[in-house]
Order: sequence, then C-alpha cells, then structure tokens
Amino acid sequence: MTAAKITARDVSVYYGEKQALESVSIDIATEHVTAFIGPSGCGKSTFLRCFNRMNDTIIGARCTGRIELDGEDIYGAEMDVVQLRARVGMVFQKPNPFPKSIYENVAYGPRIHGLAMDKTELDRIVELALTRAGLWDEVKDRLSESGTSLSGGQQQRLCIARAIAVDPEVILMDEPCSALDPIATAKIEDLINQLRGRYAIVIVTHNMQQAARVSQRTAFFHLGKLIEFGETSELFTNPRAEKTKDYITGRYG
Amino acid sequence: MRQRLVRRYAAERRFRRSGLAAVVLSIGVLAFLLMSMAASGWRGFVEQRIALPLDVAASASAGEMEDAVAMAAEAAYGADGLDYISESAWKTVRDAFRADSSLAGTSVVIPVPVSSTLSTALRGSGPETLVAAAQRLDAEGKISTHLNTHFLTGADGTDPSAVGIWGAFKGSLFTMLVTIVLAFPIGVLAAIYLEEFAPRGRWTDLIEVSINNLAAVPSIIFGLLGLSIFLNTMGLPRSAPLVGGMTLALMTLPVIVIAGRSAIKAVPPSIRDAALGVGASPVQAVAHHVLPAALPGIMTGSIIGMARALGETAPLLMIGMRAFITTPPDGISSPSSVLPVQIFLWSDEISRGFVEKTSAAIIVLLAFLLAMNAGAVYLRNRFEIRW
Ligand SMILES: Nc1ncnc2c1ncn2[C@@H]1O[C@H](COP(=O)(O)OP(=O)(O)O)[C@@H](O)[C@H]1O
Ligand SMILES: [Mg+2]
Repeated sequence: MTAAKITARDVSVYYGEKQALESVSIDIATEHVTAFIGPSGCGKSTFLRCFNRMNDTIIGARCTGRIELDGEDIYGAEMDVVQLRARVGMVFQKPNPFPKSIYENVAYGPRIHGLAMDKTELDRIVELALTRAGLWDEVKDRLSESGTSLSGGQQQRLCIARAIAVDPEVILMDEPCSALDPIATAKIEDLINQLRGRYAIVIVTHNMQQAARVSQRTAFFHLGKLIEFGETSELFTNPRAEKTKDYITGRYG
Repeated sequence: MRQRLVRRYAAERRFRRSGLAAVVLSIGVLAFLLMSMAASGWRGFVEQRIALPLDVAASASAGEMEDAVAMAAEAAYGADGLDYISESAWKTVRDAFRADSSLAGTSVVIPVPVSSTLSTALRGSGPETLVAAAQRLDAEGKISTHLNTHFLTGADGTDPSAVGIWGAFKGSLFTMLVTIVLAFPIGVLAAIYLEEFAPRGRWTDLIEVSINNLAAVPSIIFGLLGLSIFLNTMGLPRSAPLVGGMTLALMTLPVIVIAGRSAIKAVPPSIRDAALGVGASPVQAVAHHVLPAALPGIMTGSIIGMARALGETAPLLMIGMRAFITTPPDGISSPSSVLPVQIFLWSDEISRGFVEKTSAAIIVLLAFLLAMNAGAVYLRNRFEIRW
C-alpha cells in the first residue's frame, strides 16, 4: 500500500438532525481509481462532497471527523476552501457546462486561479485539458460555440476538461455517466482509464459493472456506513460481508 | 368510447375558440384606444398658419418687430387681424429672418401661427361671425397647415397654440434617469444578497414579506414619504426631477428586488455548483455566472417597473411636480414637470385648444412607453441564455 492521497477518519455527516454518514474511514491513493457503490441514499454523494467541502454550501450540513489531503486537514483553519477546490476537482451527475463558449468553459478555472500568464499560455492549457479529456479533436474547430450546444456525452467530457484545466490532484466524479447513453458512457470509462495514475480519481456509481470495469478499489456503503472496502476484483468475486454479497448478487438495491 | 372522444375534441375546440376570442377582444380594445388617441391627437402635432405680408427692417428690435407684425396683421385683415394671429407670431417672423437674412427689409409673405380662437373657428366651432371669417380665409388660400415644431421643442404655457411637450418629456427623462440610477443597482444588489448570501431565518422571512408588501403599497404613500423625507427633512429642491426620481425609485425598488430574486432563483443551481467546483469564491460564482444568466430576467422586470414609474402621477403631485413651468429643465435639480402630470394638468384646462394637446401628449407618453418596452424585449432576446 502506497502513501494515501486522502485519508478520512471517523467521518460523520449530518443534515440538520439527520445523520447521513456514520463514522467512515478510508484511504484513497493516486494510483488507483476508487469506486463508491451502494444502494441509493446510502451516503455515497454525501461522502464524496466532503472531499472538496461542497457540503459547506448546503444549509444545515455538518461534518465531523478528520479528512486529510496530503496530511493537511481539509477542514482545518489554514485550509482555504477555494484553494482546496482547485486541488480537488469535481464532475457532477448531470453535465453542467457554463452557458458560455467551449473555450471559456475550460479557461474559466485557470483564469480565476491565475494559472496563465498570457493568452498563449491559456490557449495551451485549454488545448491540453481538452486533449486529456479526449474532446480536442471533436471541438477544436468550434471552440467559440456554446458549451451547451454539445451532446450530453461531450458536455460531460467538457466538464472533465474544465476540472482538469486547473491541474487538480484529485478528481471526484458523482455518477458521471448516469445521464448518458452507453456509447458516451464507454468513452467516459475509457477516459477514466487514461487519467488513472495522473490524478487520484474517486467515482460514485450505482452501476456495479462500471465499478468493476474502471476501478481498482471499491467501497461499498449501506445506510450511511462503510461496509466493505478493498480491491475491486476481490470485493466482487469474494465479498467478506454478508451485505456486500447480497448487494452484488442483486438481492436488493 | 367514441362519444367520449368526440366530447373531448369538442371541449378542446371550445377552449381554443374562447382563447382566440379573448385575444381578439383585447387587440380590438387596444386598437380602438390607439385609434381614438391618434384621431384626436394628431392635430396637436400640426399648427395652422395664416399668410402675413410684411416689410420689416433688418435692424428691428424685438419690440419693434412685435409692433410691426401687429400692424401688418391689421393692414392685411382689417381691425380683426390682430385676433387672427397668435401672440407669439412675431417669434416666427424673427426665426424666419434669422434663418434667411435676405428676407429682412423686403416685402415678404410669411405664414405665422393662427390664434387659438381662429384655430377653433377653423374647425367650425366658436362665434358664428368668426367661423364664417375663418371659412372665407381658408377658401382664399390664406391658411396653411405646418408641422408644429414648437410642440416638440417647447414647454408649458397659457396659450394652447404655443405650448410644447419637450419640457415635460425632458423632465420625465431626467426623472427616469434618477430612478434607474438609484433603483437598479440597489435593487439588484439587494436581490443578490437576499437570494444568495442572506442566512435563512426569521429576519430574512420578515424582510421578504415586507418587500412583497411594499410592492403593493399605493403610490401616493410613496409621494407622502418623499414629501416628508426628501423635501421637509433633507431640504431638497421642490418640483425637481431629482426628488421625483428618488420618490419613484422608492416605489420601483421592491418591484426590482422581486423581479431580481425570481430571475436569480430561475438560474439552475448546477451552474453555481459548477463554478464553486472549479474553485470560484461565492461572490465570483454569482458575479461570473449567476448574474449574467439572470440579467435578462432582471432587466425585463426592472423595465416593467420603470414603465409603471413613468406613468405615475400621484406621488409626483405630492412633491410639487404639478407646478406651472414654462422652460424645459436643464438639470435634475431644476424645476420641471413630467409627461403624466402634464397630461393631467392640460386635461384640466377649460380652454378648447388644450384638448388636442392633451391627446398629443398622451401619444408622446405612449411612444415613450412603447420604446421602453421594445428595449426590454430587445435586451431579453439579446442576452437570453438557452439551456
Ligand atoms: N441536501 C440534503 N439535505 C438533507 N438531506 C440530504 C441532503 N442530501 C442528501 N440527504 C440525505 O442524505 C442521505 C444520503 O444521500 P446521498 O449522499 O445523496 O446518497 P447517495 O448519493 O448514496 O444516493 C439520504 O438519505 C438523503 O436523503
Ligand atoms: Mg448520489
């Protein structure tokens, strides 16, 4: 086991009085893609959103426990949340490009973080991000068109490019394919495979085949608890917990 | 089964027909209104002139010219001649000489505005002898119809043939300017704060309810507020577009806040998430993404609020904008009238000549309103974002 990029210890999340996540501990490494699976409502998204503090934007949401990014407490006083979100990018369930040009979508992050000295450098960053997201060839002649004019799958890859453009260390993906058709899904899965190792990737999915295809580590959640966490192949062929077995054999969920 | 289908289609047709009927009815009423306005108002934009032969020296002073014009009228049309020409006829002569200096010192015939009694007589009302005289003059070809440029460039006055709308128009323009400069930024900032940053709680709820109630307060109450705060407490100048604009800004503010909040609410939350997700601060997320997306809606709502303010009379009467002002304002603090108040004042005049001026002023006000609404539609289409 190599040094973990993110370590979470005893993380619990409350929405008002309601506890959505109970004392979850997990290590996330850069070289693996980590998948979160579990029945709907079990707290996968909630947990994922702790890593870039997106839960901060929800009124009444509260997080206890400790999450470290490279040993720094992300809920600590010296952690700037804007800086954190530049280091931990996120791709959402529904593709949500800005209603601006394709170029502007990708350039926005680098621009607000001051990553480019001049236009040439910004152009280079945009091209690199779009290339890594596997979208460059499809859009290089129409960079000034609106991001919302792309197809659903292209929009989602544009969102991935937007996340990549600020050169994050971690990319969180919350069911990135749930709104896409199978062909677009396959492209995103390919892309995840290519990005593995460069970024620590955490993907939430309700699709077990997808988890099996793209991830090397899988965490199974149930009713706000982490039931089992281990190598993907191990978890799917030889689950230790009874609940995991029930879930992957399709007895519920 | 078949019967139910038939009934369903019949119901559908009935519904569509009644919808169509409603639209046709409202268009008809609107068209009738516009047509009757245009029919009685077009005379306000033209004036009738009577040919006046005269010979005035180039060196004549204003007083000498006035006398010369009066004498020329008597020479041409007898003892009644002076009653035929407008009091300001000599100004037309002066302007004609200024425009073409070779006219002075020679015998020329200049058409000068008729008096309002003659203008009424030309339309067939008034004392019978005058009507007969008017008909004779018309038959002799002495009367001609000209565009009344003075109506578009002058201000209020006592002689209906010499009044203009420009003073009130300029007053309305200045007032609207003050209103928009105050109400738009304050309203939008308040809407953004309430929608995006204010902590939810009893206070926010209370503020929300108060704003909704303020939008429903009768406008004359805002006039009273303006009177007691801006005039009596702050001592700002009476009858000025500054105070009028501030009063109307108070009235428009809640409308803009409400329109702004609903426009901001209509922006999909996923856009905020996207911006925050790449590390934008909350203010950046709003300024770069939420506000541009909400702007068309905010502007449409604001312009509708402004249009309402443009047509307001009551609150402006309270702060003294009903004064009789004969020169167009040259700034936001000089006394002035506004279009709806001018219409109100003229409609109150007994003199017959003011009727057509009132209608003409209404046409100007409607044109102003139409231009503003067209602006709103243009802005909405120009900046609207399709998701
Ligand atoms: N904004 C919220 N406010 C209140 N409760 C929430 C909110 N978001 C999620 N929850 C609750 O937290 C639990 C976990 O939700 P979530 O993390 O979205 O589950 P998952 O992504 O695994 O489907 C659910 O019971 C859900 O009802
Ligand atoms: Mg979820």
